[in-house]
Amino acid sequence: MPAPGDLDPVIHTQARLRIMTTLTALPPGDRLTFPRLQSLLDATAGNLSTHLRRLEDAGYVAVTKGHIGRVPATHVEATRAGRRAFEDYVAQLAALLTPPAGTRGEPAPSKGTSA
Amino acid sequence: MRDDADRPRAAVMPDDDPPLDPAGSAALIAAQRARVAAETDVDGRLLFGVWGAAWLLGFGALWAVAGDRPALGWSPAAAGVLFAGLLVAAMVVTSVHVARRTSGVHGTSSLQGAMYGWAWFLGFVAVFALASGLTRAGAGAGVVQVAMTLVPPLLVGVLYMAGAAIWRDRAQFALGAWILVVTIVASFVGTPGMLAVMSLAGGGGMLAAAVAEAVRRRS
Repeated sequence: MPAPGDLDPVIHTQARLRIMTTLTALPPGDRLTFPRLQSLLDATAGNLSTHLRRLEDAGYVAVTKGHIGRVPATHVEATRAGRRAFEDYVAQLAALLTPPAGTRGEPAPSKGTSA
Repeated sequence: MRDDADRPRAAVMPDDDPPLDPAGSAALIAAQRARVAAETDVDGRLLFGVWGAAWLLGFGALWAVAGDRPALGWSPAAAGVLFAGLLVAAMVVTSVHVARRTSGVHGTSSLQGAMYGWAWFLGFVAVFALASGLTRAGAGAGVVQVAMTLVPPLLVGVLYMAGAAIWRDRAQFALGAWILVVTIVASFVGTPGMLAVMSLAGGGGMLAAAVAEAVRRRS
């Protein structure tokens, strides 16, 4: 039986969970400009930057600086690893929220089996 | 005091908001997904609604002033101006809406959207070029009007069906197919009845699609 403590700590905070939810809601290959992401989250630029750096360090998001025309623009997208981590997080959440009926005696499959 | 406050992972997130429990996380994900959808999805209710209204009223006006015993006393030119105005208004609503919803989204889907947008634009430039080509070839006003009544819906139907294939949208596919069937029927009805067919079945079909989309979103 997974415990809440097993949830990925990089994602398991309000701010970063909302960032990952937003970025993974777009199809793979899509990225958001920093201001649009900010408006979808109602976040301050400083707060968003801090959390993005944490997610970038974990390899879950890619932040690219480029240009739209001549205007400098920062783009943010979920990486493949980030999408997988988010999927795992959601799956774990679902497992935590559905109490296994009548399986108390069985060994929990999700624990101790990974290398 | 939370009994899990001393678990090691708590230490790596001192930067944050109140701690999450699984139910809170699930609720947060659902709320944020709904918000992203509401703010980035192109809304079929609005687009089918404005185009349906433009066709219903525009083709309706053209029909009402046509024939031997017109239902309205307007000049055909006035009806034409009304229709053109409605189409321009629908185009403006569409452009503004799509631009707002997709603002700041780049990458694969914006490339798809841009290519699809160019297909509409060039397609309609070609339709108007056709009107000019027919006139130059000696076609009378009646022939040009038949072409301009049938070719635009033909293009709209084909583009809806193609768009449905891109975004795997069954409702849009059904609407595109319906518009093509209506166009085929209208071709055999002849003038001025085809204008009534395009108004009621074409515009009406789009309005029905807008209603269907509203129902789908509520469930």
